[in-house]
Amino acid sequence: MANPAERRKLEPWQDPKAAPYVRIDHVTKKFGDVYAVDDVSLDIFQGEFFSLLGSSGCGKSTLLRMLAGLERPSAGRIYIDGADVTDIPAYSRPVNMMFQSYALFPHMTVEQNVEFGLKQDRMPRKERAERVGEMLALLQISELRRRKPDQLSGGQRQRVALARTLAKHPKLLLLDEPLGALDKRLRESAQFELVNLQERIGITFVTVTHDQEEAMTMSTRIAVMNAGQILQVDTPTAIYEYPEYRFVADFIGLVNLFDGRVVETQDDQVLIESSLGRRMHMRDLHPHAIGTPVTVAIRPEKLQICATYQENGINQVKGVVEDIAYLGDVSIYRVRVSPEMLVEMTLTNVHPRTEQALTWGQEVAMEWSPTSGVVLTE
Amino acid sequence: MIQELFKRLHLRDRQLARVVNIGTPYLWLGLFFLAPFAIVLHISLAETALAQPPYTSLWEWVDEGVLQVRLNLHNFVTVFTDELYLAAFLNSLWVALVCTILCLLIGYPMAYAIATAPERRRVILLMLIILPFWTSFLIRVYAWIGILKPNGLLNNLLLSLGLIDQPLTILHTQTAIYIGVVYSYLPFMILPLFANLTRLDFSLLEAAADLGCRPFKAFLKVTLPLSLPGIVAGSMLVFIPVVGEFVIPDLLGGPDSLMIGKMLWTEFFSNKDWPLAAALAICLLGVLVVPFVMMQRLEHRIGGDEL
Repeated sequence: MANPAERRKLEPWQDPKAAPYVRIDHVTKKFGDVYAVDDVSLDIFQGEFFSLLGSSGCGKSTLLRMLAGLERPSAGRIYIDGADVTDIPAYSRPVNMMFQSYALFPHMTVEQNVEFGLKQDRMPRKERAERVGEMLALLQISELRRRKPDQLSGGQRQRVALARTLAKHPKLLLLDEPLGALDKRLRESAQFELVNLQERIGITFVTVTHDQEEAMTMSTRIAVMNAGQILQVDTPTAIYEYPEYRFVADFIGLVNLFDGRVVETQDDQVLIESSLGRRMHMRDLHPHAIGTPVTVAIRPEKLQICATYQENGINQVKGVVEDIAYLGDVSIYRVRVSPEMLVEMTLTNVHPRTEQALTWGQEVAMEWSPTSGVVLTE
Repeated sequence: MIQELFKRLHLRDRQLARVVNIGTPYLWLGLFFLAPFAIVLHISLAETALAQPPYTSLWEWVDEGVLQVRLNLHNFVTVFTDELYLAAFLNSLWVALVCTILCLLIGYPMAYAIATAPERRRVILLMLIILPFWTSFLIRVYAWIGILKPNGLLNNLLLSLGLIDQPLTILHTQTAIYIGVVYSYLPFMILPLFANLTRLDFSLLEAAADLGCRPFKAFLKVTLPLSLPGIVAGSMLVFIPVVGEFVIPDLLGGPDSLMIGKMLWTEFFSNKDWPLAAALAICLLGVLVVPFVMMQRLEHRIGGDEL
């Protein structure tokens, strides 16, 4: 483990004294009667790779566009690097945005596209040429400089768009679904490239994505949004392992949700009577009172095949394998534990599939440890 | 074996399809452009005669086996030397140029407004542009006489408002021609511009703003260059027919408003000088083909840059 000082540098949000680089302060955006963004407050720190994650229509793009100055908040303020930018129009903000469609100017060459923003700043010609060359080299597209956007592949366009937004050395780079237009293979390598690039140039990135995998691999922190509000802001690990809401648990990865009621508490341990009629013993970080209706969320990979199954065993369920999704490295088993409920369990395929013990229609007992899941109320 | 046969048949089908595909427009052009052009060219090289039709034949059998062809270039000489025709040509081009620029200046903001209007209002606005076509062109131009004449609508309105104390003479002047032409041809400018501007990706303007470009500059740097094909198309649709326009100068213009379309009419129907009128028509075509080809080439160059 890194020492506390180093950790504060790596994770500034852990440091109560660190000043946020971007402050979104009670921002609301209404379109007619619809709240696209509903009273959102958020701090983003310098050098972060921050992701706004949510399904379409959750307000993440509107929030990003407000940071860019393309939308004006109905209420609330936005600060960037200490300055209130709420009323500053897009063309004078020290912020650049990469559009989902890339929005490259079709009548200009790659070089002219990258140069466009610098020209607006009236940068001297020589300096401009240098900067353009630097950007093209950084993104390895120097040989494409004379091409027009319609002569480029999707991946090349993405690089040009990135070069164009980075050319002005913005204080903040906004990326709207940066990898959305790329095919799957390209997307994976582009993810790593984007992270490396961000680490190298040190500019704060805020990206919008609906792809949870993308958010998990790239981000320092993720804000999960739903219906115009931010539900949880945390590191990818925390979002995955310790979701605070059913929505967050369900949105990111696979999860089994057992409904129940607290029957016994002791320190941070709770005993829950689940609607399946079984008892569950969990660690509860926010201890709930006896009688509270709760949901136990357990990830499929935290389940194990139970060796010593007991009819009234704690943290155990039994059912019949109904579906098997073979993904190569792992298999997902969907087990019918009650007429209403399927439990998903992933097992690593240590042995070739033909030798696997579990098969369709087979009865299987599963168990988990008290620390392998979370207890949720909402 | 059979596959080979099918392949060959398929190939023949495709060749046939290609011939038909490419042939049809050529046939159309040949039938409805080249043939009439040949006839007009033929007439332009003849001489007037008191006959039906009122021109001489170009060829004649003089002796056994001797065909005499007589090409009369006099009409062309007249067209090029008579200052009246030259003035008419220049004035026609001038009127067309001024009207094209006016149409562009008025039509561009209108097309832009329609293209950026919400879906429902856009349909209504487009209808309003197209609606006048449901009335006869002639009637609409006639209506302008009622508006522009000394005791017409416009003058009465201005007099009653006290802005003028004597009726303005607009009717039967070049100004009346400008008004009539701009009114009549504005839709031909707006529609191609609208078609072009609706395809404009407005995220490009946001990108320009994001990169530090103020709205008006973004218009100059992004919208305008990208709408150039629409500007060229609209200008062509206005300029070319206006050069040869006859009805508007005849109804709204004065006796001294020299327009080549009107000249043509006079030569054909009043003076019954078909050959001279034909020569004028040929020259007019020549005058129009030059800007047409130039614009076509320009459009081609820009067209290649379009997405």
